[in-house]
Amino acid sequence: MILPDILLESVYVLTGLLLFIFAALTLKDPNHPHPKSTATFWLILGIIFIAGTYLPHAITGVLVLIMVAIDGAGKVKPTTPPPRAKEESASTGGGVEADSSPPISAIASNKTTILSYAHRQPPNQTQSILGNKIFLPVLTIPTITILFALTFRILKQDVTTGALIGLGFGGLSAMLVALALTKGSLTHLLNDGRHLNECMGAVNILPQLLASLGIIFTAAGIGTLIANAVTHFVPHHLFLLIIANCLGMTLFTMVMGNSFAAFPVIAAGVLIPLIVKPFNVDPAIAAIITLTAGSSGTLITPMAANFNIVPAALLELKNPYAVLKFQLPYALILWPMHVIVMWALIQL
Amino acid sequence: MRFSERNSSSPRSVLNHISFSYNPNMHLPEWTKLAGILLVLIGFALRLKPTLVVVAAALLTGLLAHLPLFTTHGSSEGIINMLGRAFAANRLMTLFIITLPAVALSERFGLQRQAAHLIQKFRAATPAALLILYQLFRVAMGALGLRLNGHPTFVRPLIYPMTKAAAESQTNDGLAASAASNLPSSAIEKLKSAAAAAENYGNFYGQNLSPVQPGILLVFTTLNTLGYNVSVWRLVLYALPIATLSITLGAAQFWLLNRRLMKENARLQ
Repeated sequence: MILPDILLESVYVLTGLLLFIFAALTLKDPNHPHPKSTATFWLILGIIFIAGTYLPHAITGVLVLIMVAIDGAGKVKPTTPPPRAKEESASTGGGVEADSSPPISAIASNKTTILSYAHRQPPNQTQSILGNKIFLPVLTIPTITILFALTFRILKQDVTTGALIGLGFGGLSAMLVALALTKGSLTHLLNDGRHLNECMGAVNILPQLLASLGIIFTAAGIGTLIANAVTHFVPHHLFLLIIANCLGMTLFTMVMGNSFAAFPVIAAGVLIPLIVKPFNVDPAIAAIITLTAGSSGTLITPMAANFNIVPAALLELKNPYAVLKFQLPYALILWPMHVIVMWALIQL
Repeated sequence: MRFSERNSSSPRSVLNHISFSYNPNMHLPEWTKLAGILLVLIGFALRLKPTLVVVAAALLTGLLAHLPLFTTHGSSEGIINMLGRAFAANRLMTLFIITLPAVALSERFGLQRQAAHLIQKFRAATPAALLILYQLFRVAMGALGLRLNGHPTFVRPLIYPMTKAAAESQTNDGLAASAASNLPSSAIEKLKSAAAAAENYGNFYGQNLSPVQPGILLVFTTLNTLGYNVSVWRLVLYALPIATLSITLGAAQFWLLNRRLMKENARLQ
């Protein structure tokens, strides 16, 4: 293995170990409704994170099926009562004081520093007792991500891998910065992270599952089916073909949840044989606008869970489809603009 | 890489898959394979467990396409094997979990309140202005060839609380907001969605403004495979009109949202 691969693997291992810790904390949590099954779920995810590169795909597949079965049975839950007092919901007092969940106070009983520190925060406080320094941990994450990406760029390595490695080490560094800054305990840090992860829940693995579904759709020839339908029904007319091409791209992106998975299929099945070749169109114009026509689809499909469903969980939205709903009018207006812009640029 | 839109497998492997999609031993008409998509539509509409729905659709589609459950000697790749392969290859999409402890501990110490406090010092900071600025920032990052998943790193810890605080001080007529929010929960939902959308808008359309971004590279390699050689810079050039429109349209949507929030507030008072 070359260095970038080793670094990326180590980031996966770190995440896996963190998931092991989350699982252990869940197992020990006296207030958890399903400690064993929830812990098993995150434990399996940890195993896949650590060993995913080496495990035979069939075994990983079976492990995934077990995870989905546990979630399907409704056994992946956050701890009760919700222990992370949300700042928004703190109507009379500060969020810190409202947070009196038994597991944390039990753990914190010998960590008087953090509690007294927190209790100095008066009620109705509208800012952090740490002032602007509280931004340091979260700013650490993008800073380190960007530094890694830039370094990889300079060293002519894959920038994408660099950004991922940076995200991993950024997350780790942010934990250390947060610990040093708040003088909090490690258990506090990990338990808070565990609660946030549990509140988001099994939806966190949805993007990975959907990527698998995309591959199976491709193997089953769904894309070719869509491309063939377009070829079959649309007359030989440039403007109509542009509409059909953009529509095919958007629909297939909605199915795959990802415009990058849809593009090669539409390009090979519709764009090149029906538009670029017969009408002698500049492929650069047609191709890049076809790609972004797919993004309109990404904005309105729950299949793009990493962009639309996971963020809704992360922001604790009541409606899991709220982000999709907000993006719908935007996508519906931007989509016909693709047809018009492509047609106009071709005419120029 | 899922910071930006990107498929799990390389463009070339996707192309390879297309060629073996036709199975001469098929008994059912081809369109029955679409049953998996129908299952997803119904399952998501009924809000069944999304993980179950997706795996059921994967099994159904694979079986209808006569794929084996497991790879056996000489067979094509099994459905469960594909599931495992793609799940492992896409761990990067779930890597954000490593950022959660730092964000959660910072929030315990008042991160969101401090972000709100900071923004309330600026009278000019309206929710719309913040959302537009954030979208522009993400477009600029994309044009610089930098990618990161902004939802956990920027939107939850910083952008959403700032936007919410700006909305509060706007409706409070400049009075310092108390710890209690004066916004109705429908407004909170809208602001959260808008913050998440600003990230997506900026990310999707900004990334095509750099020739090193995976979108441009995907188009370049796909066209190459199909026998066309184009310059990556020409691709960037023709990405410009849509990128400009995407920014304008985002700005309009955020401005309209802002206006509606103020109207609703005026009606409530």
